[in-house]
Amino acid sequence: MLIDINAYIGHWPFMQLKHNTCEALIERMNKFGVDISVISNLNGIFYKNTQSANEELFEEIRSKAKFRNRFIPFAVINPIYAGWRDDLDVCISKYGFKGVRIYPKYHDFEILDPECIELVKRVRDYGLPVAFNFRMVDSRQRSWIDTAYVKDNVIREWNLRNILPIIKAVPDAKYMILNFANAATLNAEEMALMKNTDLLFDTSGRTITHMSDYLKTYGNDKFAFGTHSPILDYLTGLLRIESLSPEEANDTQKEMLRSGNAMKILSI
Amino acid sequence: MTDYINRRKFVSRTALSAAGLLLSEQIIGSPNYDSSEAMILETPVSSYNLMKEVMKYRKLDSHVHAHLFDGGPESNISFADRLGIDKMYVSLPAYNGEGTPKEFSYYNDLMLKCMKQYPDRLIGQFTLNAIFQKESMEEINRCVDLGMVGLKVYTQLKINDRLFYPIIEKMIDLKMIIHMHAYAQLGLGGYRMKYNTGTRPNTSIPEDFVEIAQKYPEAMFQYAHIGGGGDWEYACKMFAKHPNIYVDTSGSNNAENMIDFAVKCLGEDRVFFGSDNCYYQSAGKILASNLTENQKKKVFFDNYNTILKKSGNNVD
Repeated sequence: MLIDINAYIGHWPFMQLKHNTCEALIERMNKFGVDISVISNLNGIFYKNTQSANEELFEEIRSKAKFRNRFIPFAVINPIYAGWRDDLDVCISKYGFKGVRIYPKYHDFEILDPECIELVKRVRDYGLPVAFNFRMVDSRQRSWIDTAYVKDNVIREWNLRNILPIIKAVPDAKYMILNFANAATLNAEEMALMKNTDLLFDTSGRTITHMSDYLKTYGNDKFAFGTHSPILDYLTGLLRIESLSPEEANDTQKEMLRSGNAMKILSI
Repeated sequence: MTDYINRRKFVSRTALSAAGLLLSEQIIGSPNYDSSEAMILETPVSSYNLMKEVMKYRKLDSHVHAHLFDGGPESNISFADRLGIDKMYVSLPAYNGEGTPKEFSYYNDLMLKCMKQYPDRLIGQFTLNAIFQKESMEEINRCVDLGMVGLKVYTQLKINDRLFYPIIEKMIDLKMIIHMHAYAQLGLGGYRMKYNTGTRPNTSIPEDFVEIAQKYPEAMFQYAHIGGGGDWEYACKMFAKHPNIYVDTSGSNNAENMIDFAVKCLGEDRVFFGSDNCYYQSAGKILASNLTENQKKKVFFDNYNTILKKSGNNVD
């Protein structure tokens, strides 16, 4: 059983993406043995009104039974945009979305903005996870109109320290921290917070240069298979798991990484 | 091989049905739901064996370091074994410091030591600093005599600097490739210089490679790490019409379409497998590409081996 907790459909405005529709993603899943994908709509990063992107995703998923069977949709919510509370309620209660992705850098708010905290608490109260990521693309190859990544801009690529404040503010929420792309050294208190939180990293990020080291540091229960597809290739996140030696991860632990940890945080 | 999973079994197996995971009742029961689709019971999911695919291809790592990112050669060998990499062509360019003759000789000695430690797995690419002409030419002779098979240089000078001309001519005589650290991004060279991204000013950019490749059409140039974080589309497009410029796929970036795009632009013979010590991404992005079996074989092994063959250093 394989669950990808970090996939998308939709467009990236600065580069053509392949395999970025539900139909194309299912082909990738079938080819490489992925049973279920957690997906959101990339367009939600760029639409000011993110609910339009959530509606697009809802319509695409419900258009075919095979999509409903294989995709777990997450909403994109911008908590500083009008009507977001209603949007959240519609996405969860009416559309059946199973989590929320939040993009403070692209949507231009601080992670401890009171409304971001309120959003995380509301999702927590639904019993669902929120997802943050370190970055969407490498800032070194940014487009000249990808303004989130100008050097010396306070808004740069994140590491774990940039996400810790919201975890500290709402420690009883469920978190997915995706595309582990930049390293940070945590002190004992910060590491304890990470370990005591219901939290998952996915395996797509470039900083995971040696998977077994990360498992030792954070624990086998803190990682799950993720691709960051279609921005990153479909197999690297899986290779980090499958190339673990039996001494580094036994069959039970590998199953946790392939699907067990994902099922737990998704309450399935 | 494909497994056909009965949907009911699939749902039962994953315990998703009872938990209501497969989207909410609101969706399942929505007015637009086509109930005939519920009759689709067979869902093809491949039993893809990733490690079998990884081990299926012989691999030559054309861009990798020892004693730079992740310790000594033991780490290289550990990952080579893990991912089925036959041989690694290791280098340690003058990443820090001035790149004096004392420094670059020391770095080359470290690589020679790696070669002695793992003679069947690690082969060195020597480094130098062309600012020090005489010492650099002597270092080439020393390193080639000791079994190193190519040049790896960094950012002390641009690849098209006049001081490189004698080095390039020497490499032509040796029939060995010139592998240069390189980049393409905003704020670098002629590429939108109004953006300051803090990149070292002498970093070679695609335009520099084109200029020197045209001046020395008989030389072979390796543009380092299209996955190194730079704009790989820019670089590959720039090199499309320059057959003596090759690229390696190494680096921490593993964009979904990178390998397909490189082969589309450059053809299937001018793309080398490389890791730059980013081992998972290096294999993953090639395996996930839409290249044919033969093209993957070429990228992983044959293309770099063809270069080595010109100097008699190919792998059987």
